Amino acid sequence: MIQLSLHKTLHTANGNMLLDIQLKLEPGEFITLYGESGAGKTSTLRILAGLLAADRGKIIVNDTVWLDTDTKINLKPQQRRVGFVFQDYALFTNMTVRKNLEYALERNQDNSIIEELIDMVELGELQHRKPNTLSGGQQQRVALARALVQRPEILLLDEPLSSLDTKMRIKLQDYILKVHRQYKLTTLLVSHDVGEILKLSDTVHVLEKGKITRSGTPAEIFTAHQMSAKFRFTGEVIAIQPEEIVYIVTVLIGTNVVKIIAQQSEIIDLKIGDTVMVASKAFNPVIQKVI
Amino acid sequence: MNTLSGQISNIEVNGSLALVTTKIHDVPFTAIVIENPETAPHLQVGNTINVLFKETEVIIAIGNPENISLQNKITGTIIQLEKGALLSKLTIGTAIGNIVSIITTKAVQQLHIEKGTTVTAMIKTNEILLSQ
Repeated sequence: MIQLSLHKTLHTANGNMLLDIQLKLEPGEFITLYGESGAGKTSTLRILAGLLAADRGKIIVNDTVWLDTDTKINLKPQQRRVGFVFQDYALFTNMTVRKNLEYALERNQDNSIIEELIDMVELGELQHRKPNTLSGGQQQRVALARALVQRPEILLLDEPLSSLDTKMRIKLQDYILKVHRQYKLTTLLVSHDVGEILKLSDTVHVLEKGKITRSGTPAEIFTAHQMSAKFRFTGEVIAIQPEEIVYIVTVLIGTNVVKIIAQQSEIIDLKIGDTVMVASKAFNPVIQKVI
Repeated sequence: MNTLSGQISNIEVNGSLALVTTKIHDVPFTAIVIENPETAPHLQVGNTINVLFKETEVIIAIGNPENISLQNKITGTIIQLEKGALLSKLTIGTAIGNIVSIITTKAVQQLHIEKGTTVTAMIKTNEILLSQ
């Protein structure tokens, strides 16, 4: 169990804001912090990693105290078992992929983890290349592997996929889920992408002006109603076409394009670019093995 | 989407499936869902719930067919009829409010459906969504 209690006055463009966060994370949980820019999401991650000092607070990770401002315990970032992936990859451009990973090894650490991670995120063919010869998605895979070299307990992801295109983002989401499960990590993600949050997280905390205002499963947070629909996806409206007495709404879900028949009353508030939930009962879809 | 609001009157659970009956005024609607009161705490007898079903899933009959597997039936009168080349939209006034059905224009012609015709609207149990 990870317990956080953080207080810090942040100086923002709109004046001072008190960050006041109480969080409990279960081991193995995938948690997303969601909210507007400047709500305190990144600051929360940075305080947890030890990169930003809290005015007051406690961080207890599986019975180890990382921070307790009352007793002046404050572990250094390198003493905290945290892996951090940022939006920019922050790789060493003068080193190969492999060297970037090896550089993250602790003194006396067994280097078998390097091989394991290279396999895990499929960097085998890229391991001797320099980061600037790789695509954004490949570089972020290296950054993800590097964050795991020291076998962290907590993985912090600060909008890691927001600069990637949809196809690459979906691939990286799969890698993130894979390492999250394989290494039994507790993962804390900052993301704005509702589809991504629905796919990855167990729990969502909504931050507003430095405070958690709502918590729940992604379905509870992002759909207005609890619905008994098991075939449910979030996507973006890319076309609305009238056809006789109905409308055909085309929705991009990940990299798949689907079409939905809708009524006029359903499309009144709908425009191209809107994020929508598409739902059906589990009884309707047919399933067929792809050969 | 047709949306009707009612109170849950009965829940039959077997494993992860539940057959939920909702009374809309006096008309029972049953829905089969992959939920039970444990996974969906709002599934409790007496709770108010929305019964949702798509217009394209509403089957229309003339008269009241008795020997039929469909559990959800309500009679009403056509109050509006919009015909397209292939599809038609029927608005049916019933005791529990208006229900919209989309069926083929061919079916409308075969059944001689016009404004004022009395019809039975039917929905399969597995086509009904429940929502809080």
